[in-house]
Parts: sequence; C-alpha cells; structure tokens
Amino acid sequence: MKDLDVRGLACPAPVVSVKRALETAEGALRVLLDDGAPRENVRRFAEGRGYAVHEAAHEGGFALTLTGAASPGATAVKAEVPAAAGPTVMLIGSDRLGDGPEELGRLLMRNFIMTLLDLSEVPDRMFFINTGVLLTAAGSEVIEALEALGNRGVEVLSCGVCLDFFKKKETLAAGAVTNMFTIAESLMTARSVLRL
Amino acid sequence: MVREGDYVAIFNSIHRVMEAEKLLKERRLSILLIPAPRALAADCGLAIRYAEEVRSEVEAVLAQAGLLPRELYKKNGEEFVKIEGES
Repeated sequence: MKDLDVRGLACPAPVVSVKRALETAEGALRVLLDDGAPRENVRRFAEGRGYAVHEAAHEGGFALTLTGAASPGATAVKAEVPAAAGPTVMLIGSDRLGDGPEELGRLLMRNFIMTLLDLSEVPDRMFFINTGVLLTAAGSEVIEALEALGNRGVEVLSCGVCLDFFKKKETLAAGAVTNMFTIAESLMTARSVLRL
Repeated sequence: MVREGDYVAIFNSIHRVMEAEKLLKERRLSILLIPAPRALAADCGLAIRYAEEVRSEVEAVLAQAGLLPRELYKKNGEEFVKIEGES
C-alpha cells in the first residue's frame, strides 16, 4: 500500500495530490492528512469516484485508506479513467464567453463556471490564459466557485506570463500558476479539450 | 452556490438583474450574481445571492431604485422557502 502525506497542505492541494496519486496507484492508497476541510474534501472526492474510504486517527491527524470500490482489496486498483486515456482539459482564453457585448460575455462566463458545480462531470484541468486569468485573480466573482471545483479535484491553473502581464501575479486567488510547457503538453495529451 | 440561510432574489429580466448587481456593488454590499438554482424556475436564469446580515440594506437599495425582485427565497436545508413574490 502506497502512502501519501498531504499534512500541512492548504486546500485544494490535498485533493489534487490524491487525484494524481490515484491515477497511478497500484492497490490501496493511504493518505495522511489534517482534520477539517482536507479530511472532508478528500473523503467526498474519493467516495464520489467510487472508492471505499476507511478512516483512522493518526499522529494528531487522520489516515484515510482508499480502496477501489469495484474490486475491494484488489492489488491493481486504477482510477475510473485510465491515465492513458488522458485528462479532460478546459482552456479558458478569455474572461468572456461568446462574441458580443463585453458585459454580457463576462456575465455568461461567470454563469458558466458556477454552473459547472451543478454537473456530475467536471473537467480534470482548467487552464486560464490571456484575460482568462482575470477570473482566477482577487476581485473575480468566481473565486468561490473555482475553490469548490478545486475541492472536487479540478486543477485550476493560470498562465504565469498572463498574470504577470496584467500585474495580477501577487493576487492570484484560486488555483496555481503554470507555464506554457505544461499547458501545451496537457493539451496535446488530453482525452478531450474544450476551448472557451 | 447558495449557503444555508442565504437569500436568493429572482428578477424578471436580465437587464434588471444586471442593473441590480451594479447598484449593489457600487454600495459595496456583499452580494453575488449566481445561476438561479434549478429548483427555482427563472426566465433569465440568474439570481442575486445575499446573506441575512446585509438583507435590509440590499432590499432598501433595490426598493429605492424600483428594482425589487420578482420573487425572493431563503435557503432552508434542502429547500428554498418563498419569502415574497407572486405565488
């Protein structure tokens, strides 16, 4: 059984780490984490993906053992989506959805991102480029929604150059910073790419 | 996007909901334009969410501007309880 230590990490890092580990895990995965939001989020995420979750107290925190629900105790447990099939990637290249009045476009984009939360299927990764990074920086109306998506295992990644251009590097409020290599590689190996 | 005890105001047009949002943001009130919860049928699909703490202020601003919502709901457990509006 593989151990994954996410103690001390802030949300949504624990869920993202667990998601990555499950993609390659052989057999059960034991996650060491802090009580509170990380424990709840990881449990919800794993159960949502069909894993059986067993909890035990561990050195002031908790140890969650995740076992594939389809074949409990099996030695080779894979996430429901085989890593070879690649992730579903959403590329958000603007803070607006569709062509037309800017005000309407911004409103539609916000509405779209919040609506993702109501869906059972969410993307694995969301890349924000160009004015899209205005959605992940402080002052954006969708920070709360992006945090909630992060807690469901969605990787929220903003283009560093873009943040720099808009002088928003210091105020990134949701997800993490990424670079063009990661973006390009992720697009080329994705199962599907949704371009907004 | 709606937390326990939050109010959800539904307007009868996209223009009214956008105007209401702009006005409330100018007053620096803590509100959020959200997709209308699916349980509440809304023509324009958008609603304004706010908490109890700002309720009186929000509704005073809207009343003054003639922008009162068509319907107002409060989240109570899994349900939305209608507070005001046509039945």
